[in-house]
Amino acid sequence: MTTHTDDPKSQQHAAEVPVRLNWSQHAPEVYKAMMRLETAARRGMDPTLYELVKIRASQLNHCAFCLDMHTKDALAAGESVGRIVQLAAWEESRHFYTEKELAAIELTEAVTVLTDGFVPDEVYDKAAKHFDEPELAQLIAAITTINAWNRFGVTCRMTPGHYTPGQHA
Amino acid sequence: MTAARTRLLDPEVGRSLSALSAAAKKGLGDPVLAELVMIRASQLNHCAFCLDMHLTLARENGVDEDRLGLLAAWEEAEDRYDGRQRAALALTEAMTVLTDGFVPDEVYDRAAKHFDDGELAHLIGLITAINSWNRLMVARRIPPGGYTP
Repeated sequence: MTTHTDDPKSQQHAAEVPVRLNWSQHAPEVYKAMMRLETAARRGMDPTLYELVKIRASQLNHCAFCLDMHTKDALAAGESVGRIVQLAAWEESRHFYTEKELAAIELTEAVTVLTDGFVPDEVYDKAAKHFDEPELAQLIAAITTINAWNRFGVTCRMTPGHYTPGQHA
Repeated sequence: MTAARTRLLDPEVGRSLSALSAAAKKGLGDPVLAELVMIRASQLNHCAFCLDMHLTLARENGVDEDRLGLLAAWEEAEDRYDGRQRAALALTEAMTVLTDGFVPDEVYDRAAKHFDDGELAHLIGLITAINSWNRLMVARRIPPGGYTP
């Protein structure tokens, strides 16, 4: 039986690809603004829901670095493996989540995949039923912020696997 | 006129994002290129508010109607844009449509040939900033025309 590990030094695995650009060193003011945005967007958000939103957006945007960080953060905060694993197929595993979480996940998808069209009224209205106006504005800000981190992570090819939960706390 | 779904936005979210845009634009140091990039991302993300705003700003920065009108088809109108602008537009498209895949090496390497590390980090910041504004405006359906220079 083969033992699988996420240890990047494992001989069974492909070589780690180097980062393209250390963007935060080359643009420190941009990084500072991103950290400020992160702090602002996080305010008032339910931490459990916040991680689900971050994981789902990072899946859609294929951001390995962000997935590494937010699945580890979610697990460290007590999230279940099942809910994390099922998130990519949430439409078929709705009973893992609350209706409120599902409305937020659906909105996350619509706001993340803007290039396919607008944010449908149906999706927005469902979210508006579960979140009051200030909460909804905050949720939209949170979805926007993880989409921003995803763009830095993917474009600069930030390396996943080295994150320790609480590292940026 | 279409009504906004909500105009609510945490002022600190707005201020942080403005700081992000300002820092990125300043570090890039090319206002014309910045407007071309922001228009192209707003086209891909279908953001009417941002298109209205950045078309106005581009005209103010002296970008002619020909280059604005052809921007959605810039690959077929290569003589209108210089090599640096074309590399930035290709990176804008790749970074905006992340859900279709990664940012190809070819696109990234082309940008890295035209921009030094500092400029590139700020260009990436700018593309990210306009993508963020696009999300905030489209999700809340903020109608176009609200921007006054």
